[in-house]
Amino acid sequence: MNDPRTIRVHYLLRAAILLLFALFIAHLVRQDALHYYVAPRLARWVRLCPLPLVLMSLSLALQALFGKRGDLCDCEHRLPASGAAGGALYSLFLFPLLLGLLLPDRALGSAAAAKKGFEFAYTSPETGSRRQADFRAEDPYKAEFAELASRLHLLPVVPVQPEIFSETIGALNLYKEQFAGRTVQVTGFLYRERGAGGIDMFAVSRFLVQCCTADATPVGIMLHPQTPISLPADTWIQVRGKLEVVAYGDGEIMGLVPETISTVPQPATPYVYTSADSVAAWDELSQKAAY
Amino acid sequence: MSSLTLKWLPLLLPAAFLLAAGVIWLQAFPAPPDNVYLDTFKTAFLGILLEALPFVLLGALLSSALRVFVADETLARWIPRRPLPAILLACLLGVIFPVCECGMIPLVRRLMHKGMPVYAAVTFILAGPILNPVVYGATLTAFRAHPDLAYARMGLAFAVAVVVGLVLFVTVKKPPLRLSLARTAGEPHRPEMRGGKAVSVFVHTADEFFEMGKYLIIGCLLTAGIQTFLDQGSLSAIGDRPLLSYLFMMGLAFALSLCSTSDAFVASAFLHTFPEGALLAFMVLGPMLDFKNALMLLSLFKTGFALLLFFLIFALVFSGSVLFSLVL
Repeated sequence: MNDPRTIRVHYLLRAAILLLFALFIAHLVRQDALHYYVAPRLARWVRLCPLPLVLMSLSLALQALFGKRGDLCDCEHRLPASGAAGGALYSLFLFPLLLGLLLPDRALGSAAAAKKGFEFAYTSPETGSRRQADFRAEDPYKAEFAELASRLHLLPVVPVQPEIFSETIGALNLYKEQFAGRTVQVTGFLYRERGAGGIDMFAVSRFLVQCCTADATPVGIMLHPQTPISLPADTWIQVRGKLEVVAYGDGEIMGLVPETISTVPQPATPYVYTSADSVAAWDELSQKAAY
Repeated sequence: MSSLTLKWLPLLLPAAFLLAAGVIWLQAFPAPPDNVYLDTFKTAFLGILLEALPFVLLGALLSSALRVFVADETLARWIPRRPLPAILLACLLGVIFPVCECGMIPLVRRLMHKGMPVYAAVTFILAGPILNPVVYGATLTAFRAHPDLAYARMGLAFAVAVVVGLVLFVTVKKPPLRLSLARTAGEPHRPEMRGGKAVSVFVHTADEFFEMGKYLIIGCLLTAGIQTFLDQGSLSAIGDRPLLSYLFMMGLAFALSLCSTSDAFVASAFLHTFPEGALLAFMVLGPMLDFKNALMLLSLFKTGFALLLFFLIFALVFSGSVLFSLVL
């Protein structure tokens, strides 16, 4: 058990650390950098965290400065007994703050995609690879993809919108035969992988984040292997090209034969998120575009 | 006191080392080095930490409010005396407190100090993170084409929690808490805080935050390390070998330490490489037992009891999910 003076020191240190955590989150919010780490629906909650953190910090500081001697006790929550243990504990809490403030906020890129395993044969997990001839589907979820695909099919150039990125890729992939030969325009980072036989495989890709960056999965379209690309990996590119169906492994996947590849700046929100209803989102996007 | 330091040292040494190494290294490179591994590590580490933070704070706040505002006797009266109703109630508590597993431990510790029996508390720890509407919704969304997996997840989590609860009711007689109940049970000394009850809630929340936060941060460090350096793609070859695939998915769930609301989405990415039973094992084991909450459970319970608990969870989830794949 510690004496009241030591407890006051611990409380002050803790108050400072809590305040730093609150400031760090506020800093991320102000820099609009929270989206590098968590998806928007969770970011709402993270944004609220500074409030309890500041209140906790103030309450601790109040106890440390004005608490009566007899009331300061660590009988329920034990404080570190030695200076070394305390120092180690507080440096552990300072570590994420240091990491966050010293290193720039960067989006995940090719290196992470390679570790997580880039699926050239992307099949949307919900639908599998079964499909039907025209845009009909037997279950409600495939129906959403079918509906989206039928709308995309009406356009001369099929855009892969960031708001419904994974759904569009999923719909294109599910009905790749129907879309073969159509022009598709997509923006993402350049993913490069050393394939079998020393031939580099390229893809234009983005990270799909469900909850936080720990569950990020790369989603994208393979680029035709014969395309000469001298850009470094992780360059943000906009690709316009013809969709084709190519043999890959035991099955078939879709690929893009690029007609134009142009470098673009990294979008403000580098990741993509799932949409609850991609068809409604598509309709809204088309309406906005019409104005 | 020396035993306390000894307990801490193994956990804190690596952190202290990391910090020292970081400081020296940053001095050597005045400009932040352009290292993709470091970037990936940072993004994964802060991602998990920031994701868990609201839940940890919520859990700590709830437990502190419970400590300050609810008298021990009131809570003890709410808990049924007979084991089966108590266990069933503990399973349903998750519906009322939809806290992620990181917020669970401080809350449960408080509930146990308020007289909740061990078997009911453990049932709540196991069932809470899965048997709640948020996780059910997320799982159903991730497996829209396979709703049976979402039902199976809820069912298996319920079964495992109830069986573990019953086993503990029969076998465990002495309270296995690391900090013995006797020391605080009477609460002979309830210090008056400056600023009254509201301030007192936040002081306790801060105490809980530092108590649980260290395990959370260490868990995040390990998880981010695994995510940065482990090649997940090359491992999917294991999916072809049935028994191994279960063990692998369970190991993955343990190592990745994902939040129970997002792990279903990660699991759905493996739908074509792994059998459904293995995915079920992944989704039931992960929220019950992973790196960060194993550390937290070890801080809450005596080592022997925690190990028994890990074994029970592992064995039940494994046999339950294999059974599920046989029935289908």
